[in-house]
Amino acid sequence: MINLLFFGRLGDFAKQVPATIEASTPAEIRQLLAADFPDLARELHQPQVLVSVNKMIVGWDQPLFDGGEVAFLPPVTGG
Amino acid sequence: MSMSTRIRIQQQDFDLAEEYQLLRQSDSAVGAVVTFSGLVRDFELVSELGSELDRGVDRGVDRGVDRGVDRGVDRQDQSSTKNPIDLLSLQHYPGMTESLLETIVEQANQRWNLIATTVIHRVGDLVPKDQIVLVGVASQHRADAFEAAQFLMDYLKTQATFWKSVRRNGEQQWIESKASDQQAAARWDGSDDK
Repeated sequence: MINLLFFGRLGDFAKQVPATIEASTPAEIRQLLAADFPDLARELHQPQVLVSVNKMIVGWDQPLFDGGEVAFLPPVTGG
Repeated sequence: MSMSTRIRIQQQDFDLAEEYQLLRQSDSAVGAVVTFSGLVRDFELVSELGSELDRGVDRGVDRGVDRGVDRGVDRQDQSSTKNPIDLLSLQHYPGMTESLLETIVEQANQRWNLIATTVIHRVGDLVPKDQIVLVGVASQHRADAFEAAQFLMDYLKTQATFWKSVRRNGEQQWIESKASDQQAAARWDGSDDK
C-alpha cells in the first residue's frame, strides 16, 4: 500500500480520499483518483503541482514500492 | 573554518536578539551579521483571477522590503484587492521541509563564504505583527552575509514546503504563489550574480 498526503489547497479537494492506495506510479494514483474525485484529479494535473516520494521530489512515472509515502505539493507559499 | 547551521521549524516565537547573539558569538572571525525577519501583515493581496503565476504577470524583481505596505500599494491593480485578515495559518511537510532548508543553506555555503547560518520558520496559527521567519547569516565580510541572506529568503519562499492560508470572516483561503517571488529566486540562477 502507498500512503497519500495532500498539502495546501489540494487538501481541501482530498478530504474524502482514503489514506492509502495500491498503485505503481504517482501518475497511476492520479488516474485512479479521477474516477471518484474528478475535481482533485483536475487540480493534480496543474503543471505547477509537484509530487514527492518518501520526501524527495520525483517525476510522475517514478516507480512506487509498498509502504512508500507519496505527497502532492501545490506551489509553496512560505516565508 | 567550520560552518555552523541552525535550522528550526517551530510553533513558538523566536527571539531576534538571542539569535543575533548566537550568530555574533559563533566565531571570532565574524565581521558581519545580517538578519532578516518576516512578519504577518494585517492584509493579503488576493487576486480574483487566480495566481499571478497562472496569468504570467511580469512585474520584474522587487528589490525592496520583503513584506511591507510599500509593495502592497505599488502592486495593486484591478485584479487584486487588499483584504484584511484575522489569522494566518502555516502548514508544512514535516521531514521534507527540514531537508529542503538544509539543501538551501548548503547551496548558500557553496556560493558565499559563510561562518554561521540560522533559519527559523514558524508554523501553525499566527496573527498580524507576529514573526513568521528569521534568516540570519554571519560572515567575515558584509557582502557575503547580505547576499546570502537574500538568497536564502528567495529560495526558502519558492522551494521550502510551506503553505499559507488566511482566515477572514471565518472563511479559510489558501494564498497563491507570487510570480514576483519566482522572479526574485530566478535572479540567482545566472552565473554573473556573485
